[in-house]
Amino acid sequence: MIQLIKTEWLKMKKYSAFWWVLGLTALSYPGINYMFFKIYDQMASNQTTGGKLIKAAIGNPFAFPESWHTAAYFSSWFIFIPAVVVIMLISNEYSFRTHRQNIIDGWSRSQFVSSKLIDVLIISIMITLLYTAVALVTGFTNMEDSTGDNFNKAYFTGLFFLQTFSQLSIAFLIGFLVKKAFIALGIFIFYFLILENILVGVFRLKLGDAGRFLPFEISDRMVPPPAFLSKLDSPENYQKAFDNIPLHIGLTVAFTVIIWAICYRINNKRDLK
Amino acid sequence: MSTVLSLQNIAKSYGPVRALAGVSFDVPEGSVFGILGPNGSGKTTLLGIVMDVLKANSGDFRWFGQPGSPEHRKKIGSLLETPNFYTYLSATDNLKITQSISGRGDAAEIESVLKKVNLFERRKYRFSSYSLGMKQRLAIAAALLGNPKVLVLDEPTNGLDPVGIAEIRQLIMDLSKQGHTIIMASHLLDEVEKVCTHVAILKTGTLLTTGHVDEVLSDEDTVELSAPNLQQLAAFLQNAGEQVTVDEKAGTLILTLPKGSSNLEDINRRCFENGIVLNHLLLKKKRLEAKFFELTNN
Repeated sequence: MIQLIKTEWLKMKKYSAFWWVLGLTALSYPGINYMFFKIYDQMASNQTTGGKLIKAAIGNPFAFPESWHTAAYFSSWFIFIPAVVVIMLISNEYSFRTHRQNIIDGWSRSQFVSSKLIDVLIISIMITLLYTAVALVTGFTNMEDSTGDNFNKAYFTGLFFLQTFSQLSIAFLIGFLVKKAFIALGIFIFYFLILENILVGVFRLKLGDAGRFLPFEISDRMVPPPAFLSKLDSPENYQKAFDNIPLHIGLTVAFTVIIWAICYRINNKRDLK
Repeated sequence: MSTVLSLQNIAKSYGPVRALAGVSFDVPEGSVFGILGPNGSGKTTLLGIVMDVLKANSGDFRWFGQPGSPEHRKKIGSLLETPNFYTYLSATDNLKITQSISGRGDAAEIESVLKKVNLFERRKYRFSSYSLGMKQRLAIAAALLGNPKVLVLDEPTNGLDPVGIAEIRQLIMDLSKQGHTIIMASHLLDEVEKVCTHVAILKTGTLLTTGHVDEVLSDEDTVELSAPNLQQLAAFLQNAGEQVTVDEKAGTLILTLPKGSSNLEDINRRCFENGIVLNHLLLKKKRLEAKFFELTNN
Protein backbone atom coordinates (compact mmCIF):
# COMPACT_ATOMS: atom_id res chain seq x y z
CA MET A 1 0.00 0.00 0.00
CA ILE A 2 2.74 2.49 1.01
CA GLN A 3 4.77 1.39 -1.99
CA LEU A 4 1.79 2.02 -4.31
CA ILE A 5 1.28 5.50 -2.85
CA LYS A 6 4.99 6.30 -3.12
CA THR A 7 5.09 5.19 -6.77
CA GLU A 8 1.96 7.17 -7.67
CA TRP A 9 3.47 10.22 -5.97
CA LEU A 10 6.60 9.85 -8.11
CA LYS A 11 4.35 9.86 -11.20
CA MET A 12 2.28 12.86 -10.08
CA LYS A 13 4.62 15.24 -8.34
CA LYS A 14 6.28 16.52 -11.50
CA TYR A 15 3.19 16.28 -13.72
CA SER A 16 2.42 19.94 -14.29
CA ALA A 17 -1.06 19.35 -15.81
CA PHE A 18 -2.07 17.64 -12.57
CA TRP A 19 -1.16 20.69 -10.47
CA TRP A 20 -2.69 23.15 -12.95
CA VAL A 21 -6.06 21.39 -12.87
CA LEU A 22 -5.94 21.07 -9.10
CA GLY A 23 -5.22 24.80 -8.95
CA LEU A 24 -8.22 25.45 -11.18
CA THR A 25 -10.35 23.31 -8.86
CA ALA A 26 -9.05 25.27 -5.86
CA LEU A 27 -10.30 28.46 -7.52
CA SER A 28 -13.61 27.18 -8.85
CA TYR A 29 -14.99 25.66 -5.64
CA PRO A 30 -14.71 28.84 -3.54
CA GLY A 31 -15.65 30.86 -6.63
CA ILE A 32 -19.07 29.28 -7.22
CA ASN A 33 -19.92 29.49 -3.52
CA TYR A 34 -18.90 33.13 -3.36
CA MET A 35 -20.95 33.93 -6.46
CA PHE A 36 -24.13 32.47 -4.96
CA PHE A 37 -23.37 34.09 -1.62
CA LYS A 38 -23.28 37.49 -3.33
CA ILE A 39 -26.62 36.79 -5.04
CA TYR A 40 -28.19 35.80 -1.73
CA ASP A 41 -26.59 38.72 0.05
CA GLN A 42 -28.04 41.21 -2.43
CA MET A 43 -31.49 39.69 -2.09
CA ALA A 44 -31.42 39.49 1.71
CA SER A 45 -29.88 42.89 2.32
CA ASN A 46 -32.74 44.44 0.41
CA GLN A 47 -34.79 46.17 3.08
CA THR A 48 -38.03 45.58 1.19
CA THR A 49 -40.71 43.21 2.45
CA GLY A 50 -39.57 40.56 -0.07
CA GLY A 51 -36.01 40.61 1.21
CA LYS A 52 -37.13 40.30 4.83
CA LEU A 53 -39.49 37.45 3.90
CA ILE A 54 -36.71 35.46 2.20
CA LYS A 55 -34.46 35.85 5.21
CA ALA A 56 -37.23 34.87 7.61
CA ALA A 57 -38.30 31.84 5.56
CA ILE A 58 -34.97 30.20 4.79
CA GLY A 59 -32.46 31.84 7.09
CA ASN A 60 -28.94 32.43 5.86
CA PRO A 61 -27.84 29.38 3.81
CA PHE A 62 -24.23 30.48 4.09
CA ALA A 63 -24.23 30.63 7.88
CA PHE A 64 -23.59 27.65 10.15
CA PRO A 65 -24.84 24.97 10.14
CA GLU A 66 -26.49 25.36 6.69
CA SER A 67 -23.16 26.35 5.07
CA TRP A 68 -22.11 22.67 5.16
CA HIS A 69 -25.08 21.79 2.96
CA THR A 70 -24.92 24.81 0.66
CA ALA A 71 -21.17 24.52 -0.02
CA ALA A 72 -21.50 20.78 -0.73
CA TYR A 73 -24.28 21.37 -3.23
CA PHE A 74 -22.59 24.12 -5.22
CA SER A 75 -19.14 22.55 -5.10
CA SER A 76 -20.48 19.30 -6.55
CA TRP A 77 -21.32 21.11 -9.78
CA PHE A 78 -17.62 21.34 -10.58
CA ILE A 79 -16.77 17.66 -10.33
CA PHE A 80 -15.86 17.71 -14.03
CA ILE A 81 -12.68 19.68 -13.23
CA PRO A 82 -11.01 17.05 -11.00
CA ALA A 83 -12.50 14.44 -13.37
CA VAL A 84 -10.11 15.83 -16.00
CA VAL A 85 -7.18 14.90 -13.74
CA VAL A 86 -8.54 11.41 -13.08
CA ILE A 87 -9.05 10.73 -16.79
CA MET A 88 -5.57 12.07 -17.61
CA LEU A 89 -3.92 9.89 -14.98
CA ILE A 90 -5.30 6.69 -16.50
CA SER A 91 -5.15 7.67 -20.17
CA ASN A 92 -1.49 8.71 -19.73
CA GLU A 93 -0.69 5.17 -18.66
CA TYR A 94 -2.17 3.92 -21.94
CA SER A 95 -0.54 6.52 -24.17
CA PHE A 96 2.90 5.99 -22.55
CA ARG A 97 2.22 2.21 -22.46
CA THR A 98 3.30 2.27 -18.83
CA HIS A 99 0.18 0.25 -17.94
CA ARG A 100 2.22 -2.64 -19.40
CA GLN A 101 5.58 -1.53 -18.06
CA ASN A 102 4.33 -1.30 -14.46
CA ILE A 103 3.30 -4.97 -14.70
CA ILE A 104 6.56 -5.98 -16.41
CA ASP A 105 8.48 -4.24 -13.63
CA GLY A 106 6.71 -6.28 -10.97
CA TRP A 107 3.25 -5.02 -10.06
CA SER A 108 0.38 -7.45 -10.22
CA ARG A 109 -2.50 -6.41 -12.44
CA SER A 110 -4.62 -5.84 -9.34
CA GLN A 111 -1.93 -3.63 -7.83
CA PHE A 112 -2.06 -1.45 -10.94
CA VAL A 113 -5.82 -0.88 -10.52
CA SER A 114 -5.32 -0.40 -6.76
CA SER A 115 -2.76 2.32 -7.47
CA LYS A 116 -5.38 4.16 -9.52
CA LEU A 117 -8.02 3.59 -6.86
CA ILE A 118 -5.62 5.25 -4.43
CA ASP A 119 -5.19 8.18 -6.86
CA VAL A 120 -8.96 8.68 -7.03
CA LEU A 121 -9.24 8.39 -3.24
CA ILE A 122 -6.45 10.93 -2.68
CA ILE A 123 -7.97 13.38 -5.17
CA SER A 124 -11.38 12.92 -3.51
CA ILE A 125 -9.84 13.63 -0.10
CA MET A 126 -8.12 16.76 -1.44
CA ILE A 127 -11.38 17.99 -2.98
CA THR A 128 -13.23 17.25 0.27
CA LEU A 129 -10.65 19.20 2.27
CA LEU A 130 -11.14 22.12 -0.12
CA TYR A 131 -14.92 21.88 0.32
CA THR A 132 -14.48 21.74 4.11
CA ALA A 133 -12.38 24.90 4.01
CA VAL A 134 -15.04 26.66 1.89
CA ALA A 135 -17.85 25.55 4.24
CA LEU A 136 -15.89 26.68 7.31
CA VAL A 137 -14.92 30.05 5.84
CA THR A 138 -18.44 30.85 4.61
CA GLY A 139 -19.92 29.57 7.89
CA PHE A 140 -17.67 31.63 10.12
CA THR A 141 -17.93 34.71 7.89
CA ASN A 142 -21.74 34.62 8.08
CA MET A 143 -22.06 33.55 11.70
CA GLU A 144 -24.98 35.36 13.28
CA ASP A 145 -25.78 33.28 16.33
CA SER A 146 -22.76 31.97 18.21
CA THR A 147 -24.96 29.82 20.46
CA GLY A 148 -26.15 27.52 17.64
CA ASP A 149 -24.66 24.14 16.81
CA ASN A 150 -22.29 25.07 14.01
CA PHE A 151 -21.46 21.50 13.15
CA ASN A 152 -24.78 19.70 13.24
CA LYS A 153 -24.74 19.49 9.41
CA ALA A 154 -21.04 18.68 9.17
CA TYR A 155 -22.12 15.17 8.11
CA PHE A 156 -22.35 16.69 4.63
CA THR A 157 -18.55 16.39 4.56
CA GLY A 158 -18.92 12.61 4.45
CA LEU A 159 -21.71 12.81 1.87
CA PHE A 160 -19.69 15.19 -0.28
CA PHE A 161 -16.66 12.88 -0.10
CA LEU A 162 -18.74 9.86 -1.12
CA GLN A 163 -20.39 11.81 -3.94
CA THR A 164 -17.00 13.04 -5.20
CA PHE A 165 -15.39 9.61 -4.97
CA SER A 166 -18.32 7.96 -6.74
CA GLN A 167 -18.42 10.48 -9.58
CA LEU A 168 -14.65 10.48 -10.04
CA SER A 169 -14.86 6.68 -10.15
CA ILE A 170 -17.26 7.02 -13.10
CA ALA A 171 -14.70 9.31 -14.76
CA PHE A 172 -12.02 6.69 -14.10
CA LEU A 173 -14.15 3.90 -15.57
CA ILE A 174 -14.73 5.90 -18.75
CA GLY A 175 -10.98 6.66 -19.06
CA PHE A 176 -10.14 3.05 -18.26
CA LEU A 177 -12.42 1.69 -20.97
CA VAL A 178 -12.01 4.37 -23.65
CA LYS A 179 -8.22 4.81 -23.15
CA LYS A 180 -8.03 8.04 -25.18
CA ALA A 181 -8.06 11.15 -22.99
CA PHE A 182 -9.99 13.51 -25.27
CA ILE A 183 -12.66 10.98 -26.18
CA ALA A 184 -13.09 9.97 -22.53
CA LEU A 185 -13.30 13.61 -21.43
CA GLY A 186 -15.83 14.35 -24.16
CA ILE A 187 -18.01 11.41 -23.13
CA PHE A 188 -17.76 12.32 -19.44
CA ILE A 189 -18.57 15.99 -19.85
CA PHE A 190 -21.33 15.42 -22.42
CA TYR A 191 -22.99 12.83 -20.20
CA PHE A 192 -22.46 14.72 -16.93
CA LEU A 193 -23.53 18.15 -18.13
CA ILE A 194 -26.08 17.34 -20.81
CA LEU A 195 -27.27 13.81 -21.40
CA GLU A 196 -28.04 12.73 -17.85
CA ASN A 197 -29.92 15.96 -17.11
CA ILE A 198 -32.04 15.36 -20.21
CA LEU A 199 -32.60 11.72 -19.24
CA VAL A 200 -33.64 12.65 -15.71
CA GLY A 201 -36.17 15.10 -17.16
CA VAL A 202 -37.48 12.59 -19.71
CA PHE A 203 -37.71 9.85 -17.08
CA ARG A 204 -39.64 12.21 -14.82
CA LEU A 205 -42.24 12.71 -17.55
CA LYS A 206 -42.46 9.06 -18.61
CA LEU A 207 -41.29 6.88 -15.72
CA GLY A 208 -41.84 8.88 -12.57
CA ASP A 209 -38.63 9.31 -10.59
CA ALA A 210 -36.65 6.47 -12.22
CA GLY A 211 -34.00 9.00 -13.23
CA ARG A 212 -32.65 8.92 -9.70
CA PHE A 213 -30.99 5.58 -10.52
CA LEU A 214 -28.83 7.09 -13.27
CA PRO A 215 -25.07 7.05 -12.55
CA PHE A 216 -24.58 10.64 -11.38
CA GLU A 217 -28.08 11.17 -10.04
CA ILE A 218 -27.63 8.26 -7.60
CA SER A 219 -24.95 10.21 -5.73
CA ASP A 220 -26.30 13.71 -6.50
CA ARG A 221 -29.38 12.83 -4.43
CA MET A 222 -27.19 12.47 -1.33
CA VAL A 223 -26.78 16.25 -1.42
CA PRO A 224 -30.21 17.67 -2.29
CA PRO A 225 -30.63 21.30 -3.35
CA PRO A 226 -30.36 23.60 -0.29
CA ALA A 227 -33.43 25.16 1.27
CA PHE A 228 -33.28 28.49 -0.51
CA LEU A 229 -33.42 26.75 -3.89
CA SER A 230 -36.18 24.25 -3.17
CA LYS A 231 -37.89 24.69 0.17
CA LEU A 232 -39.90 27.70 -0.91
CA ASP A 233 -41.26 25.83 -3.95
CA SER A 234 -42.22 22.62 -2.20
CA PRO A 235 -41.47 21.95 1.47
CA GLU A 236 -42.77 18.36 1.05
CA ASN A 237 -40.33 17.57 -1.73
CA TYR A 238 -37.51 19.16 0.28
CA GLN A 239 -38.25 16.87 3.22
CA LYS A 240 -38.67 13.87 0.92
CA ALA A 241 -35.23 14.51 -0.60
CA PHE A 242 -33.73 14.46 2.90
CA ASP A 243 -35.59 11.26 3.78
CA ASN A 244 -34.11 9.57 0.70
CA ILE A 245 -30.48 10.37 1.58
CA PRO A 246 -29.83 7.04 3.42
CA LEU A 247 -31.17 5.07 0.44
CA HIS A 248 -28.88 6.97 -1.92
CA ILE A 249 -25.88 6.44 0.33
CA GLY A 250 -26.46 2.70 -0.01
CA LEU A 251 -26.99 2.93 -3.78
CA THR A 252 -23.88 5.08 -4.23
CA VAL A 253 -21.68 2.71 -2.23
CA ALA A 254 -23.01 -0.29 -4.18
CA PHE A 255 -22.62 1.47 -7.54
CA THR A 256 -19.06 2.57 -6.75
CA VAL A 257 -18.07 -0.92 -5.60
CA ILE A 258 -19.44 -2.29 -8.89
CA ILE A 259 -17.40 0.23 -10.90
CA TRP A 260 -14.14 -0.81 -9.26
CA ALA A 261 -15.02 -4.51 -9.42
CA ILE A 262 -15.45 -4.09 -13.19
CA CYS A 263 -12.06 -2.37 -13.46
CA TYR A 264 -10.28 -5.09 -11.46
CA ARG A 265 -11.94 -7.87 -13.42
CA ILE A 266 -11.24 -6.40 -16.85
CA ASN A 267 -7.63 -5.59 -16.04
CA ASN A 268 -6.99 -9.06 -14.65
CA LYS A 269 -8.42 -10.77 -17.74
CA ARG A 270 -7.46 -8.73 -20.76
CA ASP A 271 -4.30 -8.47 -22.82
CA LEU A 272 -2.43 -5.28 -21.97
CA LYS A 273 -1.71 -3.86 -25.42
CA MET B 1 22.42 -26.66 -15.12
CA SER B 2 19.00 -25.57 -13.79
CA THR B 3 16.22 -24.12 -15.89
CA VAL B 4 15.38 -20.43 -15.60
CA LEU B 5 12.30 -20.45 -17.80
CA SER B 6 10.28 -23.41 -18.97
CA LEU B 7 7.50 -23.14 -21.57
CA GLN B 8 4.95 -25.90 -21.97
CA ASN B 9 2.68 -25.87 -25.00
CA ILE B 10 2.00 -22.12 -25.01
CA ALA B 11 -0.74 -21.18 -27.47
CA LYS B 12 -2.16 -17.77 -28.23
CA SER B 13 -4.58 -16.43 -30.82
CA TYR B 14 -5.76 -12.93 -31.64
CA GLY B 15 -9.24 -13.66 -32.96
CA PRO B 16 -8.76 -15.87 -36.04
CA VAL B 17 -5.02 -15.16 -36.17
CA ARG B 18 -2.91 -17.83 -34.51
CA ALA B 19 0.13 -16.14 -32.94
CA LEU B 20 1.60 -19.13 -31.08
CA ALA B 21 0.79 -22.81 -31.64
CA GLY B 22 1.87 -24.89 -28.67
CA VAL B 23 5.43 -23.64 -28.15
CA SER B 24 7.61 -25.51 -25.63
CA PHE B 25 11.27 -25.06 -24.72
CA ASP B 26 13.54 -24.54 -21.73
CA VAL B 27 15.98 -21.72 -21.10
CA PRO B 28 19.03 -22.99 -19.19
CA GLU B 29 20.58 -20.89 -16.46
CA GLY B 30 23.56 -18.82 -17.61
CA SER B 31 22.64 -19.03 -21.30
CA VAL B 32 22.20 -16.24 -23.81
CA PHE B 33 19.01 -17.53 -25.37
CA GLY B 34 18.03 -16.06 -28.73
CA ILE B 35 14.40 -16.26 -29.87
CA LEU B 36 14.49 -15.81 -33.62
CA GLY B 37 11.86 -15.48 -36.23
CA PRO B 38 10.66 -13.28 -39.05
CA ASN B 39 8.25 -10.44 -38.33
CA GLY B 40 4.96 -11.82 -37.05
CA SER B 41 6.45 -15.11 -35.93
CA GLY B 42 5.28 -14.66 -32.32
CA LYS B 43 8.53 -13.63 -30.59
CA THR B 44 7.10 -10.58 -28.83
CA THR B 45 3.83 -12.37 -28.04
CA LEU B 46 5.84 -15.12 -26.37
CA LEU B 47 7.79 -12.64 -24.24
CA GLY B 48 4.58 -10.72 -23.47
CA ILE B 49 3.04 -13.92 -22.09
CA VAL B 50 5.96 -14.79 -19.83
CA MET B 51 5.97 -11.20 -18.52
CA ASP B 52 2.17 -11.36 -17.90
CA VAL B 53 1.11 -8.52 -20.15
CA LEU B 54 -0.59 -11.00 -22.49
CA LYS B 55 -2.71 -13.99 -21.53
CA ALA B 56 -2.03 -17.35 -23.19
CA ASN B 57 -5.08 -19.28 -24.42
CA SER B 58 -3.50 -22.48 -23.16
CA GLY B 59 -0.22 -23.84 -21.92
CA ASP B 60 1.92 -23.08 -18.94
CA PHE B 61 5.18 -21.35 -18.15
CA ARG B 62 7.40 -21.46 -15.10
CA TRP B 63 10.09 -19.12 -13.87
CA PHE B 64 12.69 -20.83 -11.70
CA GLY B 65 10.44 -23.90 -11.52
CA GLN B 66 7.43 -21.98 -10.20
CA PRO B 67 4.35 -20.44 -11.83
CA GLY B 68 5.07 -16.87 -12.97
CA SER B 69 4.30 -14.18 -10.38
CA PRO B 70 4.94 -10.47 -9.71
CA GLU B 71 7.74 -11.48 -7.32
CA HIS B 72 9.52 -13.26 -10.16
CA ARG B 73 9.07 -10.33 -12.53
CA LYS B 74 10.64 -7.98 -9.98
CA LYS B 75 13.85 -9.99 -10.24
CA ILE B 76 13.91 -9.84 -14.06
CA GLY B 77 15.20 -6.88 -16.01
CA SER B 78 12.99 -6.48 -19.08
CA LEU B 79 12.71 -4.50 -22.26
CA LEU B 80 9.62 -5.43 -24.27
CA GLU B 81 8.97 -3.91 -27.70
CA THR B 82 9.26 -0.15 -27.22
CA PRO B 83 10.77 1.85 -24.33
CA ASN B 84 7.80 2.70 -22.10
CA PHE B 85 8.35 5.72 -19.85
CA TYR B 86 6.56 8.81 -18.52
CA THR B 87 7.37 11.42 -21.16
CA TYR B 88 7.20 14.40 -18.76
CA LEU B 89 9.76 12.89 -16.38
CA SER B 90 13.55 12.81 -16.65
CA ALA B 91 15.62 9.65 -17.03
CA THR B 92 16.42 9.67 -13.31
CA ASP B 93 12.79 10.16 -12.26
CA ASN B 94 11.65 7.38 -14.61
CA LEU B 95 14.21 5.00 -13.16
CA LYS B 96 13.03 5.95 -9.65
CA ILE B 97 9.61 4.60 -10.67
CA THR B 98 11.20 1.40 -12.01
CA GLN B 99 13.10 1.13 -8.73
CA SER B 100 10.00 1.80 -6.65
CA ILE B 101 7.95 -0.90 -8.41
CA SER B 102 10.61 -3.58 -8.77
CA GLY B 103 12.60 -2.90 -5.63
CA ARG B 104 15.74 -3.33 -7.74
CA GLY B 105 18.63 -0.90 -7.22
CA ASP B 106 18.94 2.36 -5.29
CA ALA B 107 19.80 6.01 -6.01
CA ALA B 108 23.50 5.23 -6.49
CA GLU B 109 22.70 2.40 -8.87
CA ILE B 110 20.40 4.60 -10.92
CA GLU B 111 23.39 6.87 -11.57
CA SER B 112 25.58 3.87 -12.26
CA VAL B 113 23.29 2.34 -14.93
CA LEU B 114 22.80 5.74 -16.56
CA LYS B 115 26.58 6.02 -16.86
CA LYS B 116 26.76 2.49 -18.27
CA VAL B 117 24.39 3.38 -21.13
CA ASN B 118 25.94 6.85 -21.68
CA LEU B 119 22.90 8.82 -20.54
CA PHE B 120 24.31 10.29 -17.34
CA GLU B 121 24.94 13.73 -18.88
CA ARG B 122 21.32 13.86 -20.07
CA ARG B 123 19.81 12.32 -16.94
CA LYS B 124 17.86 15.46 -15.99
CA TYR B 125 16.30 15.95 -19.42
CA ARG B 126 12.72 14.94 -20.06
CA PHE B 127 12.19 11.58 -21.74
CA SER B 128 10.16 13.35 -24.46
CA SER B 129 13.31 15.21 -25.57
CA TYR B 130 15.28 11.99 -26.19
CA SER B 131 16.15 10.51 -29.58
CA LEU B 132 15.01 6.96 -30.40
CA GLY B 133 18.46 5.61 -29.56
CA MET B 134 18.53 7.43 -26.21
CA LYS B 135 15.07 6.07 -25.35
CA GLN B 136 16.30 2.57 -26.13
CA ARG B 137 19.37 3.09 -23.96
CA LEU B 138 17.19 4.26 -21.07
CA ALA B 139 15.09 1.11 -21.44
CA ILE B 140 18.28 -0.96 -21.28
CA ALA B 141 19.35 1.02 -18.18
CA ALA B 142 15.99 0.21 -16.55
CA ALA B 143 16.47 -3.47 -17.36
CA LEU B 144 19.98 -3.43 -15.87
CA LEU B 145 18.90 -1.67 -12.66
CA GLY B 146 19.75 -3.74 -9.60
CA ASN B 147 21.95 -6.10 -11.62
CA PRO B 148 19.20 -8.73 -12.16
CA LYS B 149 20.35 -12.30 -12.79
CA VAL B 150 17.86 -12.67 -15.64
CA LEU B 151 17.27 -10.22 -18.48
CA VAL B 152 14.49 -10.35 -21.08
CA LEU B 153 15.36 -8.17 -24.06
CA ASP B 154 13.10 -7.76 -27.06
CA GLU B 155 15.07 -6.34 -30.00
CA PRO B 156 17.56 -4.59 -27.67
CA THR B 157 19.49 -2.92 -30.50
CA ASN B 158 16.42 -1.24 -32.05
CA GLY B 159 17.14 2.36 -32.94
CA LEU B 160 20.81 2.21 -31.96
CA ASP B 161 23.67 3.37 -34.19
CA PRO B 162 26.51 0.94 -35.06
CA VAL B 163 28.53 2.03 -32.04
CA GLY B 164 25.50 1.56 -29.78
CA ILE B 165 24.86 -1.89 -31.28
CA ALA B 166 28.46 -2.93 -30.63
CA GLU B 167 28.21 -1.60 -27.04
CA ILE B 168 25.05 -3.59 -26.34
CA ARG B 169 26.62 -6.69 -27.88
CA GLN B 170 29.64 -6.29 -25.61
CA LEU B 171 27.39 -5.62 -22.62
CA ILE B 172 25.44 -8.85 -23.27
CA MET B 173 28.66 -10.83 -23.60
CA ASP B 174 30.01 -9.30 -20.36
CA LEU B 175 26.78 -10.07 -18.50
CA SER B 176 26.86 -13.62 -19.83
CA LYS B 177 30.43 -14.07 -18.56
CA GLN B 178 29.24 -12.92 -15.13
CA GLY B 179 26.67 -15.72 -15.13
CA HIS B 180 23.53 -13.74 -16.08
CA THR B 181 20.85 -15.45 -18.12
CA ILE B 182 19.72 -13.37 -21.09
CA ILE B 183 16.63 -14.13 -23.14
CA MET B 184 16.72 -12.10 -26.31
CA ALA B 185 14.26 -11.85 -29.17
CA SER B 186 15.67 -10.55 -32.39
CA HIS B 187 15.47 -10.73 -36.14
CA LEU B 188 19.07 -9.52 -36.47
CA LEU B 189 20.67 -12.89 -37.07
CA ASP B 190 24.19 -11.57 -37.20
CA GLU B 191 23.78 -10.09 -33.71
CA VAL B 192 22.27 -13.26 -32.32
CA GLU B 193 25.00 -15.41 -33.83
CA LYS B 194 27.64 -13.26 -32.18
CA VAL B 195 26.23 -13.40 -28.67
CA CYS B 196 23.81 -16.32 -28.24
CA THR B 197 24.65 -19.71 -26.79
CA HIS B 198 21.17 -21.14 -27.43
CA VAL B 199 18.43 -20.38 -29.95
CA ALA B 200 14.78 -21.10 -30.61
CA ILE B 201 13.54 -20.41 -34.12
CA LEU B 202 9.87 -19.56 -34.62
CA LYS B 203 7.82 -19.22 -37.76
CA THR B 204 4.16 -18.14 -37.74
CA GLY B 205 3.85 -19.20 -34.12
CA THR B 206 5.40 -22.63 -34.55
CA LEU B 207 8.70 -23.64 -33.00
CA LEU B 208 10.93 -24.94 -35.80
CA THR B 209 13.97 -25.86 -33.75
CA THR B 210 15.63 -25.12 -30.43
CA GLY B 211 18.86 -26.01 -28.69
CA HIS B 212 22.50 -25.03 -28.33
CA VAL B 213 23.65 -22.85 -31.23
CA ASP B 214 26.29 -25.39 -32.28
CA GLU B 215 23.73 -28.20 -32.30
CA VAL B 216 21.19 -26.22 -34.27
CA LEU B 217 23.69 -25.03 -36.85
CA SER B 218 25.85 -28.07 -37.39
CA ASP B 219 23.55 -30.63 -38.95
CA GLU B 220 26.35 -31.26 -41.52
CA ASP B 221 30.04 -30.45 -41.88
CA THR B 222 31.09 -27.91 -44.45
CA VAL B 223 34.74 -27.86 -45.47
CA GLU B 224 36.10 -25.01 -47.55
CA LEU B 225 39.28 -25.70 -49.51
CA SER B 226 41.24 -24.41 -52.48
CA ALA B 227 44.33 -25.19 -54.53
CA PRO B 228 46.22 -23.42 -57.36
CA ASN B 229 44.35 -25.62 -59.88
CA LEU B 230 40.72 -25.54 -58.70
CA GLN B 231 39.39 -27.68 -61.57
CA GLN B 232 41.91 -30.43 -60.85
CA LEU B 233 40.92 -30.38 -57.17
CA ALA B 234 37.21 -30.50 -58.01
CA ALA B 235 37.68 -33.41 -60.41
CA PHE B 236 39.71 -35.36 -57.85
CA LEU B 237 37.11 -34.94 -55.09
CA GLN B 238 34.16 -35.71 -57.38
CA ASN B 239 35.91 -38.87 -58.58
CA ALA B 240 36.35 -39.81 -54.94
CA GLY B 241 32.55 -39.60 -54.59
CA GLU B 242 32.42 -36.41 -52.52
CA GLN B 243 29.66 -33.81 -52.76
CA VAL B 244 31.39 -30.70 -54.06
CA THR B 245 30.28 -27.19 -54.93
CA VAL B 246 32.63 -24.85 -56.77
CA ASP B 247 32.62 -21.15 -55.89
CA GLU B 248 34.44 -19.70 -58.89
CA LYS B 249 34.19 -16.15 -57.64
CA ALA B 250 35.80 -16.89 -54.29
CA GLY B 251 38.16 -19.44 -55.83
CA THR B 252 37.16 -22.12 -53.35
CA LEU B 253 35.46 -25.50 -53.19
CA ILE B 254 32.80 -26.38 -50.65
CA LEU B 255 32.84 -29.99 -49.53
CA THR B 256 29.68 -31.12 -47.71
CA LEU B 257 30.04 -34.11 -45.38
CA PRO B 258 27.78 -35.87 -42.87
CA LYS B 259 27.77 -34.21 -39.43
CA GLY B 260 30.92 -35.05 -37.44
CA SER B 261 32.58 -37.02 -40.28
CA SER B 262 35.04 -34.42 -41.56
CA ASN B 263 38.72 -35.15 -41.08
CA LEU B 264 40.86 -32.29 -42.35
CA GLU B 265 44.11 -34.15 -41.92
CA ASP B 266 42.84 -37.02 -44.08
CA ILE B 267 41.60 -34.68 -46.80
CA ASN B 268 44.94 -32.87 -46.86
CA ARG B 269 46.91 -36.13 -47.05
CA ARG B 270 44.75 -37.59 -49.84
CA CYS B 271 45.08 -34.45 -51.94
CA PHE B 272 48.84 -34.26 -51.44
CA GLU B 273 49.30 -37.96 -52.31
CA ASN B 274 47.49 -37.24 -55.56
CA GLY B 275 49.71 -34.34 -56.48
CA ILE B 276 47.43 -31.52 -55.30
CA VAL B 277 48.84 -29.01 -52.85
CA LEU B 278 46.12 -27.22 -50.90
CA ASN B 279 46.54 -23.56 -50.07
CA HIS B 280 43.34 -23.27 -48.01
CA LEU B 281 41.54 -25.81 -45.81
CA LEU B 282 38.87 -24.82 -43.27
CA LEU B 283 36.03 -26.54 -41.41
CA LYS B 284 33.22 -23.97 -41.64
CA LYS B 285 30.41 -23.51 -39.21
CA LYS B 286 27.15 -22.97 -41.01
CA ARG B 287 26.02 -19.38 -40.68
CA LEU B 288 22.92 -18.85 -38.61
CA GLU B 289 21.48 -16.81 -41.43
CA ALA B 290 21.73 -19.77 -43.83
CA LYS B 291 20.15 -22.09 -41.28
CA PHE B 292 17.41 -19.59 -40.58
CA PHE B 293 16.52 -19.23 -44.24
CA GLU B 294 16.65 -22.97 -44.67
CA LEU B 295 14.22 -23.53 -41.79
CA THR B 296 11.87 -20.70 -42.59
CA ASN B 297 11.90 -21.45 -46.33
CA ASN B 298 12.75 -17.88 -47.24
